[in-house]
Amino acid sequence: MRRSRLKLLRVAAALVVFVGLTSAFADFRNLVPTAVGHWLAGIQFVPSLVALATGAAFSLAGVMIVAATLAVGRVYCSMVCPLGILQDVIARFSSWAHRREKKFVPFARPMTWLRQGFLWGTVAGVATGWSGLTLALLDPYSNFGRMIVGLFRPLLTLANNSVVGLANAAGLSSIYRVEAHWAGVGALIIPALMFALIAALAVWRGRLYCNTVCPVGTLLGWFAQRAAFRLEIDRGACHKCVACLNVCKSQCINLRTGTIDFSRCVACFNCIGACEHGGINYRLAWRRTAGRAAPATVGRTLPDPQRRAFLTGTATALAVSLGAGLRLSAQDPTAPEPARSGQNDGGTDPDDHTKAICPPGASSIDRFLDRCTACQLCLSACPTQVLKPALLEYGLAGLLKPRLEYSAAFCNFECRRCGEVCPDGAISLLELADKQLTQIGEAHFDRKKCIVVVKGTDCAACSEHCPTKAVHTIPYGDNLRLPEVTRDLCIGCGACEYACPVQPEKAIVVAGHRRHGRARKPVETKAAAPTPAGDFPF
Amino acid sequence: MKNRREFIQAGFALGAAFSLADLGGLFAAETSATDDASPIPAPGAGKSVLVAVRDGDRVAMLDRALASLGGIGVFVKRGQTVLIKPNIGWDAPPERGANTHPDLVAHLVKLCLGAGAKSVSIFDKTCDQWQRTYANSGIEKAAKEAGAIVINGNDPNAYREVAIPGGLELKTARVHSLVLDSDVFFNVPVLKHHSGALMTACMKNLMGVVWDRGFYHRNDLHQTIADFLTLRQPTLNILDAYHPMVRNGPRGTSVEDLVEMRSLLASKDIVAIDAAAAKMLGHQPADVRHVKLAAGMKLGTINLENVDIRRFKLA
Repeated sequence: MRRSRLKLLRVAAALVVFVGLTSAFADFRNLVPTAVGHWLAGIQFVPSLVALATGAAFSLAGVMIVAATLAVGRVYCSMVCPLGILQDVIARFSSWAHRREKKFVPFARPMTWLRQGFLWGTVAGVATGWSGLTLALLDPYSNFGRMIVGLFRPLLTLANNSVVGLANAAGLSSIYRVEAHWAGVGALIIPALMFALIAALAVWRGRLYCNTVCPVGTLLGWFAQRAAFRLEIDRGACHKCVACLNVCKSQCINLRTGTIDFSRCVACFNCIGACEHGGINYRLAWRRTAGRAAPATVGRTLPDPQRRAFLTGTATALAVSLGAGLRLSAQDPTAPEPARSGQNDGGTDPDDHTKAICPPGASSIDRFLDRCTACQLCLSACPTQVLKPALLEYGLAGLLKPRLEYSAAFCNFECRRCGEVCPDGAISLLELADKQLTQIGEAHFDRKKCIVVVKGTDCAACSEHCPTKAVHTIPYGDNLRLPEVTRDLCIGCGACEYACPVQPEKAIVVAGHRRHGRARKPVETKAAAPTPAGDFPF
Repeated sequence: MKNRREFIQAGFALGAAFSLADLGGLFAAETSATDDASPIPAPGAGKSVLVAVRDGDRVAMLDRALASLGGIGVFVKRGQTVLIKPNIGWDAPPERGANTHPDLVAHLVKLCLGAGAKSVSIFDKTCDQWQRTYANSGIEKAAKEAGAIVINGNDPNAYREVAIPGGLELKTARVHSLVLDSDVFFNVPVLKHHSGALMTACMKNLMGVVWDRGFYHRNDLHQTIADFLTLRQPTLNILDAYHPMVRNGPRGTSVEDLVEMRSLLASKDIVAIDAAAAKMLGHQPADVRHVKLAAGMKLGTINLENVDIRRFKLA
């Protein structure tokens, strides 16, 4: 087999993205710099478009992916998309396991109706205000993230823990035990099923998922079909030896007609190297097609009429950009609105209360759910693991998106990693001082349950943990201290709820805000010395 | 082939040899009896000794206190394993006074290794996320550089269930194995206000060696704190009172919560040292209920009149 330089380039790029993103998503010790995950996620198609459409970032990655596709085909699918690369990895493993060179089935007809159905379903979802759910379910990058965070990360943690004893015995204290965080069964079902589907399809038919289910694949396929440079078969050189068919992941090479369905080709370049006769190469296609009246006469046996494809594609492009832009930016005016200063009663409005608490920087649950694609990069990056995948706490639109769960952790006051990694601005990166005043919820103290009242002994674990002293204590009974909450100082970090030792129901719980507010900044005067200075008070 | 610890030990010994004169009382105390180096009575037998030092930096104050107690060699013998338990509770930098200062911890590590300790381990069961807390407290870096082994205190496998027969409320607990197994146990907290316990000093700091702190909170916080002392008392308590947090404790909100006192206390008697600490925060010792309870359980001396207090002002 000849070496194809294009294939080497493709494999190298794919390795960088795959290893980088996998380590960012699997990083159970916060060892990978946040920039790695943030950047590699930021060049993904859907997050980039969401960021651009919402004005969260001037992210041109999505546009550049379209431009690249129009130039040379779906290079995104084989070099950048981690879900696509994962399928290649799985297929490769399967051929290793079977100790034989992978042979894919030869040419297969595209499943046009399914492809169009998933794409149009996504477009319809975005246009009707369900962008949050449809993008989350179908964005390939986010699907990849959830598989790694939900399935691989805990397994890797357990593997780490199994060697801790050995490492410590060898004097390595740099390897230590880390708690493995499994999401609930409900939140694991979707990534698990998706992984099973992807793996089965990858072993059976290479990139069938990308050419059937994935709306990004279908959309980019439409552009690829019109690419300036396309892979084409040199019919003069072709011996019909089927070497190219054996290595084609997309079953898009039709030797009978001597054509390649470039809408399904993921630009893996396997065929170029497989051909002993140099029969498959990039050719400039625009000059030829421009010279002819109708593209349909190029002589391809395209499965669906060009006209329909054209209309589909145009409408899709319009709908995606407009739908995303309109729907998402409609929420925008509320987004930067940070302050409800002076009207701290805002949080006490019961309509504003919710059990699902979204991260600081999300601004409001509505804005957050529209933008978040549930890639769960923040779940992996969160050092306290207070972020958990939601099931139905936010409603259907919040499926698998991060929410703060205070039973076993709380939001670290000095941390803003979720905002640092978020690729599409669903969690804006706040200045730390801003984050420390962002009220994502507020504590409600039930003194009837409090240990100080019930048992008549000191406790105050809640106020001990409170970073703003919204939860403080006041003298109570005989030399006791009873917690008290100053609501307008509370930011809803959950430290108090986490620390409260009352069982089974805690005496202090945080109710989330649907729209985040702003806490009052405490006035800091120098503390007075409790004893005269200069000598020992004993 | 020398490993790192041996290298640091050798380096320290060499440095100590060259600076013997400057170290003043510390090494002098080991070789000849100075005016303040007298035998240390065990708690309960005769008067407890409390050393109180003011107006120096932490390192100088620790050196002075140890010299007064007979030097580090009184506490650490060659080949012994040492545990230092600082307060590493909160994700806050040293200047916030929420944790024991790294300078103090690092210096103690060097002294122990210099005295021939086989190993010096450090851990705390942090309240904030532990890696961040270890890092931002400055203790992890300083202690490692000084040659200590810094251990993850949040590993449940490191804790062992033990009976505490002397306890009234706390009858069993899962205690960190380093506390149970180390030859020498230094308790090195920082003095702070505490919104629940009124004060956190030496006794309260020992909550950080137990897995389930919620049990303490549910079952009479002060009594359980006192109960733990019946299991094992630290070899020596060293209290960082350089700039105690006098309000908003134990976490604090800013440096405004601190008052500079430039003090350090050291004693084998954990009740006496906490009684003195209470006075530094403006309380009567008996106001801090766990101090009063521990005194009642004959775990130390609450009445400072009955304590041999050695006061030093370095400036």
